[in-house]
Amino acid sequence: MRMKSLIQDAQETQRAMEMIELGARMQMLESETGLSRERLLKLYKEIRGESPPKGMLPFSTDWFMPWQQNVHASLFMAFLGFIQRNTGLSGLDATLKAFRIYKEHTENQGLDQVMSLTRAWTLVRFFDAKMLQLATCTCCQGQFVAHAYDPTKGYVCGLCNMPARAGKGKRAAAREEAVAAAM
Amino acid sequence: MKATDVQSEIKELNLAYLMLAQQMIKTSRESAMLKLGVGSDVADIIEGLTPGQILRMAGSDMMLCRFRFDDGLLVNLLANHERDSAASRIHAAILAAGRPVEQVA
Repeated sequence: MRMKSLIQDAQETQRAMEMIELGARMQMLESETGLSRERLLKLYKEIRGESPPKGMLPFSTDWFMPWQQNVHASLFMAFLGFIQRNTGLSGLDATLKAFRIYKEHTENQGLDQVMSLTRAWTLVRFFDAKMLQLATCTCCQGQFVAHAYDPTKGYVCGLCNMPARAGKGKRAAAREEAVAAAM
Repeated sequence: MKATDVQSEIKELNLAYLMLAQQMIKTSRESAMLKLGVGSDVADIIEGLTPGQILRMAGSDMMLCRFRFDDGLLVNLLANHERDSAASRIHAAILAAGRPVEQVA
């Protein structure tokens, strides 16, 4: 064990608990805390009552490009940018805070929570690694997630120029049917 | 509406605004800053106001909250639900989070 101080250990445990409650997966916990894998596993089981999902994290910047995913990723990045500019938070603290705000926002507005904490964390890492960038929409001046090195001159976001079937996936159709059936 | 009515309405609104803002900041500072559109110095001031100060501030005949969305696009997004209203609300949230906040000079 490389943990020296008890206080630091307690803080890391606290933070791991917070992340597990928000839905973090093992890979994120392992890289963001100094706790051992066994302790993280135990914590995970105790909090969620089940074993963590196995397997690798999805690793693709393309996930953030379809319409709905892109809108939600851009919303999260807008919150994160606000926090980084206007509060003293940075790094993981800023990510966690921005995710809490995002989660609260989707719940209050009755939206699907498209991004998970692990997904949001991966998104931030893609930005750190300069694999993604924020492109400014020429129509609304908002900033949206885009591939790095894509030309951004004349970029128009998916909200100014909505695709015809935006937000009309299988699930939305099923929900509409359910609403229609209830009436 | 008589002038005295307007005056007391303003007073009431100021009081409600200041108390709500203070409560929001105390509960969750970062999220309150985002929703109120204020910077950390303004948040500090509001958080530190005593009940007496809040009452005195609310009693002035000036409105203490200012029209925040002085941007045609944002107003349109919030006011017109012609297209998908969920999408325009997300759009408004993305734009609003990117706007500069109120600061104390």
